[in-house]
Amino acid sequence: MHKLALSFKNRELSLLVILVFTIGLTSLINPRFITGSGTRDLFSSTAVVALLAIGIAPIVIMRHIDLSISSTVGFSAWIVAAQCAAHPNYKVWQAFIIGPAVGLCVGIVNGLLVAGLRLPSLVVTLGTLYIVRGLDYVVSNSVDYNSQDLPKSLMKLGETTYFGLVPFPFVLVIIFMILASLYMKFRKAGRDRYAIGSNPPAAELVGIKVFRRTFLSFVFSGTTAGLAGVLYLMRFAQVDATAFYGQELAVVAAVVIGGISINGGIGTAQGAVIGALLVQTIQGGLSALGVDAFWKQAINGALLIVALFSDRVLARRSERALLAQRIKERA
Amino acid sequence: MSALTSKTRQIRFTWDIVILGFLFLVWVLASLTTSNFLTSLNVSQIFSNTGEIMIMAFPVTFLIISGEIDLSIASNLALSSCMLGWSYRAGLPIPAAIVVAIAVGTLCGAVNGFLVTKVKLASLAVTIATLALYRGIANGLVGSKPISAFPDFWTSFGYDTFGNSFIPKALPLVIILGIIFALVLHRTPFGRRTLAIGQSPEAARFAGVNVTKHKMILFCLTGMASGIASVVYTFRFSLSQPDNGTGMELLVISACLLGGVSIFGGLGTMWGVVAGVLLAGSVESWLTLRNVNAQWRTIVTGVLLLSSVAIPVLIDILKRRRATAAIKKG
Amino acid sequence: MESTVTSKGDLVLAISGLQKRFGGAIALSNANLTIRAGEIHALLGENGAGKSTMLKILAGVHTPDGGTLNLEGKPFITGSTQTSIDQGIAVIYQEPSLFLDLTLAENVFIGRQPMKGAKIDWNFAQEESARLFKQLGVELDPKRIARGLSIADQQVVEIAKALSMDAKVILMDEPTAALSSSEVDRLMTVMRSLRDSNKAVIFVSHRLDEVFAISDFITVMRDGATVSEAKVGATDLQKVIKDMVGRELTELFPKTENKIGEVVLEVNDVTNPAYFRNISFKVRKGEIVALAGLVGSGRSEVARAIFGIDDYETGTVTVKGKLMAKNNPVTAMNQGMALVPEDRRQQGLFMVASVNKNISMESFGNLMKGLFIDFGKERALSETWKQKLSIKYDNQRDPVERLSGGNQQKTVLAKWLATDPDILIVDEPTRGIDVGTKAEVHRLLNQAASEGKAILMISSELPEVLGMADRIIVMREGRQVAEFSRSEATQEKVIAAATSSAKVGAN
Repeated sequence: MHKLALSFKNRELSLLVILVFTIGLTSLINPRFITGSGTRDLFSSTAVVALLAIGIAPIVIMRHIDLSISSTVGFSAWIVAAQCAAHPNYKVWQAFIIGPAVGLCVGIVNGLLVAGLRLPSLVVTLGTLYIVRGLDYVVSNSVDYNSQDLPKSLMKLGETTYFGLVPFPFVLVIIFMILASLYMKFRKAGRDRYAIGSNPPAAELVGIKVFRRTFLSFVFSGTTAGLAGVLYLMRFAQVDATAFYGQELAVVAAVVIGGISINGGIGTAQGAVIGALLVQTIQGGLSALGVDAFWKQAINGALLIVALFSDRVLARRSERALLAQRIKERA
Repeated sequence: MSALTSKTRQIRFTWDIVILGFLFLVWVLASLTTSNFLTSLNVSQIFSNTGEIMIMAFPVTFLIISGEIDLSIASNLALSSCMLGWSYRAGLPIPAAIVVAIAVGTLCGAVNGFLVTKVKLASLAVTIATLALYRGIANGLVGSKPISAFPDFWTSFGYDTFGNSFIPKALPLVIILGIIFALVLHRTPFGRRTLAIGQSPEAARFAGVNVTKHKMILFCLTGMASGIASVVYTFRFSLSQPDNGTGMELLVISACLLGGVSIFGGLGTMWGVVAGVLLAGSVESWLTLRNVNAQWRTIVTGVLLLSSVAIPVLIDILKRRRATAAIKKG
Repeated sequence: MESTVTSKGDLVLAISGLQKRFGGAIALSNANLTIRAGEIHALLGENGAGKSTMLKILAGVHTPDGGTLNLEGKPFITGSTQTSIDQGIAVIYQEPSLFLDLTLAENVFIGRQPMKGAKIDWNFAQEESARLFKQLGVELDPKRIARGLSIADQQVVEIAKALSMDAKVILMDEPTAALSSSEVDRLMTVMRSLRDSNKAVIFVSHRLDEVFAISDFITVMRDGATVSEAKVGATDLQKVIKDMVGRELTELFPKTENKIGEVVLEVNDVTNPAYFRNISFKVRKGEIVALAGLVGSGRSEVARAIFGIDDYETGTVTVKGKLMAKNNPVTAMNQGMALVPEDRRQQGLFMVASVNKNISMESFGNLMKGLFIDFGKERALSETWKQKLSIKYDNQRDPVERLSGGNQQKTVLAKWLATDPDILIVDEPTRGIDVGTKAEVHRLLNQAASEGKAILMISSELPEVLGMADRIIVMREGRQVAEFSRSEATQEKVIAAATSSAKVGAN
């Protein structure tokens, strides 16, 4: 019985094993994958999604969802670019303030509606997805920005690599991951989220401040999305109003594959990052196999279904075990 | 999660009337402020633009009432549309290609239904996945080579009106479907059972309703409607490509919620949904005629969506505050 | 029957003259309870005697209307669950509600995780939980998650949580109802260890042999008042049962003698290993058969299996000579069966729908005009049954949740009687209803029986069972343990069969 029960450690560990295995498999198909530049590419291309996955992890753990993140990424990226273009003397740190600030506003709106009015997070974040995307179009007014408008220092930071392997954006991801992980494991406020997701009525009864935790989590995901917008700029060095459009699925897939159950109560920041890496690796492997880039979206969808399915299988297993116990008792 | 109190039902009943009122108001204002709003050309445009959304909204209403959701409908439309074009290009006559499109649509709906009712995955998560899967398959099959040559007879069906009137050729189809779905929802045992499942899945079980089978049927109907809508869409734009209908799922769901269908299930009327779709379409038309940036529509839809769920809750809170204040005084 | 430890220790809880009413119903009229440290105190009584209400007042869920409560000499503050917890009261409910995705250690310390500096001290939490589990005499790993734990184990975790919060009084509401006998033994070990730590344990139970095995004191309640308090050595099973039921059975239930016809429902060796085993009985036309027993004995599950809502593994159900398919309520309905479920709010009615729409739910066949529902016929049906059952509501289109409990129950009955069933299964038909409506419902059931319907009635209320039934079948822990005819049944016999393996007297 004990083995059937999944402790935190087991899930992430097995995911890590799967990741290593998949990387190995992909390198067999495409030997370039395991090289220095291949690894750098992997980290670069995963950074934005990984950061977003960390951002929505607490939300999914509480049985909510945030679909507005991709719009927020695009919007904040554009605003940062616009501000930098308007103020050529801006340095890196201004970008890192403006981006998250934009995301913070979106997060506050989401948080108030979901935690305050107790509206379903699906509908609310669907609405803000729309609104923010619309705002992006209206405000941007078809103006694009490219690398000439952005501070050189920002671009340079995007290309800085540590140990020859890990680009700065991913270092940021790792720092976030470690901080988020420690918070979720060692702070009461972090543990509260697991309780809320695991048994919402009981959480209220033991005095957990549900409104506060929920509200702040949406603020966190919004701010993270704003930060991810800056990372987006560092990677693509250009932005228009369609930036990052339609990427919600990639983030949800990363999160679910990373072991954060859609039913709440389970999951870690590490899992989210591993999930993002796994999705990216599989994509890389498949394209190395000659699968057309056109199939990319379909693959993401299929991956998500597989992840949901295995999530369900595990839940079913513990249900069956409990039933078997009942039968034994009544014998 | 159940904010479904009978007070909410009362508000919803008046919500239908409110939406109809808003629709009327928008038309009056629009025709007063914009000279070419009430022309037969423009009105037919409104009907045309809302046609596919309306077709898909009919069964989606049932689905939401029963407590589920389907975000993959637009991707379903895209895939069905691509299958239509692909079959036509492969040599099938149009009527056969139409059958293929509708069959593919129904199949996609059935896959959703299977994953939700038999494998017991959450419909929200599953249809987010199939949203990508279906459009992705469309992309893979047709991606680089969209089909854009269709026979005039059929593209006329999708695009033209009857003579110079305001009635698009596709409208009768929409109306017939609407009448059928409305009658089924409000006047048949099947409709009652749908409402029952949404109001209390457990009581529905005890009333002998086969919830699994019922929901499966709803998902298949939704898929079939996506298939039918894809036919109209393909001929209207004379184009079969994987980007077809992008974003439509949100429009459909927003229109349903706007029309008074409760996101919590168990509640909704068909004329409310019709009014909701027409309202969204009319507002968009008005904005287009006024040369307002097309992207304001996106913002407006988002705001409408949020309002449709937020306002009943706010009203409820106000009522309760007033009630407790009265008790304290008395 | 043994109680060797003499309770010692100071007076912890002194309750006297406790009163509580809910609307028109009196739950407690004069309840007393005296608890000391280091004692195990059983609280006995039938359903509705007031035990739960008393516990809930102590837990802070309800406020009493009268009486005094003192905790360790000082007045006990009621009305809030948090204050009760702060004053040292811990409640273990029948259905524990742990956080299944969190570890046992975390569940024990939920909301009050021990800190070391700015970080949660998991080591301490795990070690302390391990120590508590050991103290309670149970082997549980604090690092495992709660999901997959049996109810019995979850209870132990709740008890450990109570201990870690320095509870002085531990209330247990029917803790053994869902446990197997080996788990009960283990729970008793836990309770003894609590007593040895000088805690006061109050537990409500219907399993009288267990009560006599473990308690130091027994308080019996009846109809909202305390009727006896005694040391366990100074009383016995017979006396306790007499205290629990000792009322005169007034003739509230005009029982009509019906002509009993042929067998219409035959249940043969039906088994669902998780809930009930080897259930066999027959019900005849015009007969009222009662299925008696404690909550959790599996009666509702049997009813649901017969009707087809739940599945069963082996055995057969035959209706009017025809073998019924498993798990198919529609076939059951077509063959003339109807089930009025236990929980009318969650299972029997659609609370937000109108009375109209609720009553017509199973009768569409008769209400159609062509392909569509004839609203006129639907309204007429509703009117008919409103008259027949005297259902009181303001407007046919009002949502059913506005009706009183009694009228709601009548609506459920109307829904099923409208299908003109041959076999009517009713599960707790008068639970939570006022006396007047109770009598009406009984009259209705009698009338249905006199019309030739076969009635299977599940009830936990003894007077109802004895007053209405032609035959009484008693279930205990999923098994059929006794059957009494109307003439030979007494309250004592039924309770004895339902609660214990010991036989009571020879009457």
